[in-house]
Amino acid sequence: MHDLEHDEILGRAFDRHLVGRLARMARSHGRLIVSTALLFPLIACVELLQPYLLKIAIDDHILAADWRGLTEVAALFLGVLVMLSALRAAEAYLMQLTALRVMHDLRAMLFRHLLRLEAAFFDRNPVGRLMTRVLNDVEAVSEAFTSGLFAVVGDVITLAGVVAVMLWMDWRLALVTFSLVPALGAIAGYFRIRARDAYREVRRRLARLNAFLQESLQGMTVIQLFAREGHEFSAFRRLNADYRRAMFGSTVWEASLYAAVEALGSAALALLLWYGAGQIAAEALTFGTLVAFIQYTNRFFLPIRDLGAKYTVMQSAMASSERIFALLDRAPAIAAPAVAGPRAEPQGPSPVAFKAVWFAYEGEDWVLRDCSFEVAPGERVAIVGATGEGKSTCARLLNRSYDVGRGQVLVDGVDVREWDLQSLRRHVGIIFQDTVLFTGTIEANLQLGSDGRVTRADLERAVEVANCRRVIEGLPRGWGEELSERGANLSHGQRQLLAIARALVYNPAILVLDEATSSVDPESEALIRHAMTRLAEGRTTITIAHRLSTVQSADRILVLHRGRIHEEGRHAELLRLGGLYARLWELGVKSRPV
Amino acid sequence: MRVSSPARALTRYVTRYRLRYAAGVACLGAATLLSLAIPRTVQRAVEALEADAGGAPVGAYVGIILLLALGNGVARLGSRFAMMGSAQRVEYDVRNDLYRSLLRFPPAFYARHSIGDLMARSSSDISAVRVLAGFGAVSFISTVFAFVGALGAMIAVDPWLTLYALAPYPTLVALARRANVTIHERTQAAQDQLGVLSARVQEHLAAMSVVRAYTMEGQAAAEFDRANGEYLRRSLALGRTLSQFVPLTGLITGLGALIVLWLGGRAVMDGRLTLGALVAFNGYLAYLAWPTLALGFTLSIVRRGLTSMERIQEIVATAPAPEPHAAPLGGAPAIRFSNLTFAYEDRPPALREVSFEVTPGETVAVVGHTGSGKSTLGALLARLWEPPAGTVFVGGRDVGDLPLGTLRGALGYVPQEAFLFSRSISDNVTLGRSMIAPDVVRAAAAVAGVADEVERFPAGWETVVGERGLTVSGGQRQRLALARALAGAPAILVLDDVFASVDAAKEEEIVENLRRAAWGRTVLLMTHRLRAARAADRVVVLAEGRVAETGTHDELLGRGGLYAQLWRIQQLEEEIARA
Repeated sequence: MHDLEHDEILGRAFDRHLVGRLARMARSHGRLIVSTALLFPLIACVELLQPYLLKIAIDDHILAADWRGLTEVAALFLGVLVMLSALRAAEAYLMQLTALRVMHDLRAMLFRHLLRLEAAFFDRNPVGRLMTRVLNDVEAVSEAFTSGLFAVVGDVITLAGVVAVMLWMDWRLALVTFSLVPALGAIAGYFRIRARDAYREVRRRLARLNAFLQESLQGMTVIQLFAREGHEFSAFRRLNADYRRAMFGSTVWEASLYAAVEALGSAALALLLWYGAGQIAAEALTFGTLVAFIQYTNRFFLPIRDLGAKYTVMQSAMASSERIFALLDRAPAIAAPAVAGPRAEPQGPSPVAFKAVWFAYEGEDWVLRDCSFEVAPGERVAIVGATGEGKSTCARLLNRSYDVGRGQVLVDGVDVREWDLQSLRRHVGIIFQDTVLFTGTIEANLQLGSDGRVTRADLERAVEVANCRRVIEGLPRGWGEELSERGANLSHGQRQLLAIARALVYNPAILVLDEATSSVDPESEALIRHAMTRLAEGRTTITIAHRLSTVQSADRILVLHRGRIHEEGRHAELLRLGGLYARLWELGVKSRPV
Repeated sequence: MRVSSPARALTRYVTRYRLRYAAGVACLGAATLLSLAIPRTVQRAVEALEADAGGAPVGAYVGIILLLALGNGVARLGSRFAMMGSAQRVEYDVRNDLYRSLLRFPPAFYARHSIGDLMARSSSDISAVRVLAGFGAVSFISTVFAFVGALGAMIAVDPWLTLYALAPYPTLVALARRANVTIHERTQAAQDQLGVLSARVQEHLAAMSVVRAYTMEGQAAAEFDRANGEYLRRSLALGRTLSQFVPLTGLITGLGALIVLWLGGRAVMDGRLTLGALVAFNGYLAYLAWPTLALGFTLSIVRRGLTSMERIQEIVATAPAPEPHAAPLGGAPAIRFSNLTFAYEDRPPALREVSFEVTPGETVAVVGHTGSGKSTLGALLARLWEPPAGTVFVGGRDVGDLPLGTLRGALGYVPQEAFLFSRSISDNVTLGRSMIAPDVVRAAAAVAGVADEVERFPAGWETVVGERGLTVSGGQRQRLALARALAGAPAILVLDDVFASVDAAKEEEIVENLRRAAWGRTVLLMTHRLRAARAADRVVVLAEGRVAETGTHDELLGRGGLYAQLWRIQQLEEEIARA
């Protein structure tokens, strides 16, 4: 609903800059667009043939009592009708095809762009808002092609055709009809502006009304606790009434525009009749021409009358494309360096080092301040500390989800910012606190990111080591079991075992375990712990421990406090030291449920 | 409660404006007649010209057409104003009723419905109802009038020609019916795939940390492409059907015109029809073209509108009945829980056999781990959730028997999550309660320990907070929520962990203020910070929903039980924080 704020502002219906970018984007469908556009003059010609055939039928055949000739004209008319239908079908299909293809490409482009953006971007932009960009805004832009640009171009061509044919048939009669154009232009322009302003007012009022409602729903408990229902309701009713009044204002102008154009159309008809009668009397005009003119005049006024609807479509398409371009223009803040140092696939485990790292998610709100530590190849290190001390942040810096503020993070002795992003992330694996599984089979979930380089035997081995053969075999369809969104059909413990197997398949040289905070049943816990130990074999592991009960066997424990390493050592040493770790340990023991 | 049929519900709203609608229909009728009279006048003019080109009173006909056009414009405007205006009134009423219903639902309802869903019902669904009541009605009635009027006029000119001209129409109806089935199926298929596509986007965007860590970008893009491609394929299938159907209607109406030209032309040659009548006939037929084209569109408006009305009625018809008028609570401000066991839907009990009492003027603290059931006690007391009968008493009366207004008027309940509206600070404290004077607002804020900070804001008490205004800290929000409760001078104060985002020193100041201000007031204080509990007259310790211990701070420390353990933990936490 954040978009309500954006919706308050509706800009122009035509922005040259935006349309230019859209056009460049649609260039890959150039041929499709050109062939669609070529249909417009064709359709206009065929359409304009109809009144002309009517004129011929009346003047040359009906009035001349020529039945054979009339039948011939009727046959011609039928041919024109069929052709027009075929052309219209082709036009409708090509327009849809263009719009859908543009939408398809724009969506793919947006989604790919989002995949490249850094974690901090996602912290600030809720998923709902991004979904609106990828789904609704893209749809609005494609509308611009079908109901907006194409329709306007088609109308303009038809209008030009009507003008030309009328001038050619009888320029004097044509000028009589066109004498109303200045009035039409003035009225349409005036009402258009008023209607646009009125419509803006409607959007503004609606945004306010919805914002009020949204907030009301969020604060419902407060409203009810303080028995303020009556008070809130009258405030809501006032906003609702303001909105209704604005709506009516908009209706007044829209309807007036419509009625005025229609009345002008009839006035044009009256004018034609009046002037035409004189001409007929003077035998300077035939009946057929007069009748054809009446029909042409109708076609002249129709597109002008429907201009309003197209204007609105274009306006919202422009607003949407502006939002889409703003997103596309947002360059990823974290990207692989232009020239990534050549990196041979390292043999064996790798070292990790933090050198005087400072990091803040927001401004100067430092989470890590001058944090330094080293992890030797193959070492098993645990990071502990109170909640909110930045333990998980260390993992996010290691795989460059975020960049350090100051200092350096080194993997294999090389600054992570000099690594190729993909190889860094292939090198550093993370098992997250809350296990995310994806829609799809178990097998697909175990192969995440491995791009088909793993064999079934690799998978079997990983599943064996991770103790989750029983989990998979217990499922009705085994390896082929489809997981629902986020793996909701598995228990918490089962999901963790699968995540461990997934990490084994991924087989990174450095593994970071962000330990789950919520507990699982004792049996699963034993299985998980066992699997973790085997997972650690032959690689560097960093365990981010939220519960101290699991870190006793680590080679080294780092105690993170106030953004830096406060104590380090083995479990027994740290306990003997009687410092922060000893207190945390006591706290952990005390906090166990009684 | 049974949800009445959406059509009946809509009718109830529409009949409130029956006079306006009647006026609108009358205007539409007049407009139809006047606009059909224009081709008729053209016919007469052409006939007069045919008869005598020089002496025809064309000026009179031209005048009549201008008058008719003017009359038609005015009548059309009138019909739009009346019917669109009424539809906007219907929208206004439906929206008011929906909001009124939303105000009555308890938190259990909001746990089941997302705000997004409720917003959708009160924006796009209500719009769909308005479109049905306005544009849909106009379009439907115009179609009926156009058919009746144009048919009448055509029959008056020549019944046989009318029959021939309309001969293609049954084919049109049959084709439309067949196309409708296909269109419906294919629309559904495309919509379903759009659902799959958005689920894919949502899943990957929500799990970006995993996507990144496992370098899944390529895989995610490939999956997206598959779903996106399938959506393109299904939309194109729909597009093909649509692009065949749309020109088909044009073809069929065109055939009508062709028949008129051919057979009508013959009739003119034979002298059975005047040229003017033929021209007028063409005009009437053209008049039918638009309503015919719009028929399918009108039907989809009706379908969409009724579905939306049903979604709105699901809320409105199931809203709890309005509460009886509230009287002030008689009796002393005492609280009693008596053998209270309570479970949220489908979950194990949050509270088990809880019994204790807070006597008038007493301050009792309830402490315990997260999830021990502290907050549930407050929520049941304020009847945000309904406690079982005979378990929770305020002023000696079962809370279930008290009108909500009476109960909540007696309670100053401050929930854990402090919520501020995007309004001024003083409005946030008074919440529109007119009896709360500015000096009361200040006094309440002073007790809550936030008055000085507010007065340092540039706009002071008139500072607008929230999304569109100044961002206040979590601690300030909690203290303003406390001030909001204090400002109403309730007999009973219920505070649910309101000091969570306030630092220890500030907390002590507020507790001290409260002790002085709460003189003679009954206070139930839920907290996980024992510092605040120490100041209470009595402490109740909850563990897994049961009362584990009760007593004063000193007694409980001496007993060396759960309370003593919690106390030690907090001291450790403070030591760690200070290290």
